[in-house]
Amino acid sequence: MVAAVCVLQFTLVKAPASLFLQFLIGSVMALGGLILFFTGIDIGILPMGRFIGAELPRKGSVLLIIATAFLLGFATTVAEPDVLVLSRQADLISQGVIQGRVVLYVMAVGVGFFVAIGMLRIVLGFPMVYLLAAAYSVVIVLSFFAPTEFIPLAYDSGSVTTGALTTPVMISLAVGLSSVLAGRSTVSDGFGLLGLASIGPIIAIMLLGILLR
Amino acid sequence: MKGIHVFEGFQTTVLSVATAVFPLVLLFVVFQVLMLRLPRKPVVDILKGTMLASAGLLLFLQGVHIGFLPFGRALGEALGTMSHRWLLAPIGFLLGFLTAWGEPSVRILANQVEDASSGSIRRSTVLYAICGGVALIVSLGMLRIVYDMPLLYILIPGYLFVIVIIWFSNKDFLSIAVDAGGVATGPMANTFLLALALGVSTSMGDQDLMVSGLGLVALIALAPIVSVATLGVIVNIKEYRKE
Repeated sequence: MVAAVCVLQFTLVKAPASLFLQFLIGSVMALGGLILFFTGIDIGILPMGRFIGAELPRKGSVLLIIATAFLLGFATTVAEPDVLVLSRQADLISQGVIQGRVVLYVMAVGVGFFVAIGMLRIVLGFPMVYLLAAAYSVVIVLSFFAPTEFIPLAYDSGSVTTGALTTPVMISLAVGLSSVLAGRSTVSDGFGLLGLASIGPIIAIMLLGILLR
Repeated sequence: MKGIHVFEGFQTTVLSVATAVFPLVLLFVVFQVLMLRLPRKPVVDILKGTMLASAGLLLFLQGVHIGFLPFGRALGEALGTMSHRWLLAPIGFLLGFLTAWGEPSVRILANQVEDASSGSIRRSTVLYAICGGVALIVSLGMLRIVYDMPLLYILIPGYLFVIVIIWFSNKDFLSIAVDAGGVATGPMANTFLLALALGVSTSMGDQDLMVSGLGLVALIALAPIVSVATLGVIVNIKEYRKE
């Protein structure tokens, strides 16, 4: 990837040398940062998710499971690197009209909400297809009502939420829960949560747009 | 040659990392005190890991801030002002293919699919299906910016297609397909391609960046969903023929 960019730099673009150098330094920093980040997740945050996931079903309270799912969805989204980048960019290009911090928290609430629904689905054993079809339909209908300047942001935020941090934590949570409940297949029950989680912020940001107008 | 700003905006980055990690730490502390009561060793490990992850996040964000974002934008602006704008389509195709190719989670997904289909769909097939899908959609996304087409014209048919196809797709594939949306949009796509699209959009002059510049990442997320769901339909057809 970096190599392809270098080729473009020398053939077509010819950006100023200082900017190009800054890009190279930035790439090295970002790469190093990612390695550190993943190591940290491995030794710190994944065990945290697993401990919480293993403890939850033992309490036997559906309400507690759902509340925790919401909080975990919220907390991991707020700390997701890609989400931070996108919300900052939104702030920047809208010249502060759409505040990055607001976008960040609205997205996180959207993720938390849909993770909670996804957990409820695993507990109740409701088929995934209905839930997905319904959620996507809501997205399509809302697209016609939301202000145009919010639509690209909404769809983008749907994709960035399921990143390096949210993905492992959510999967370990869902797989943990579905392995404890009897008669659940880990494939069709354990997965699917991420897809749902990524619909959450799309709906949340579009609603934000409708409310702000 | 102008100066190189490695630490420009560093304070904001520190602040945003602090606010980002805080809820997660708080959540853990509450759980630890009320429910978990883990012994000291794992707690220390978890805190160490969190510190490490925060440091990594800080470095990553700063690197993106000084490197990917300004350069991606400059690259996009330069590409957008070229005399042959159609060139953006093949360049988008290439960059899209490369980002998906370099994404580790795409490979993990390919393995999952091979397992779920008990070998009837090979992992290289999945890999090419996804990379090709992403490449196609990035070049489409670039053209969308150049010709100022609303994002929904691509997204709505895409999602409608997904809604229809999930009823015919193999059940195990369905869950994998939906999760697959996130896999192709790794840190690379979300930062570099985002900035590139913003740059192209800026160079078009009169466009509203909120409308035209964003949206590429959303398109990239759609590609693997369609690819994997379609593979799921193919598996179903194959099984149907056997019976």
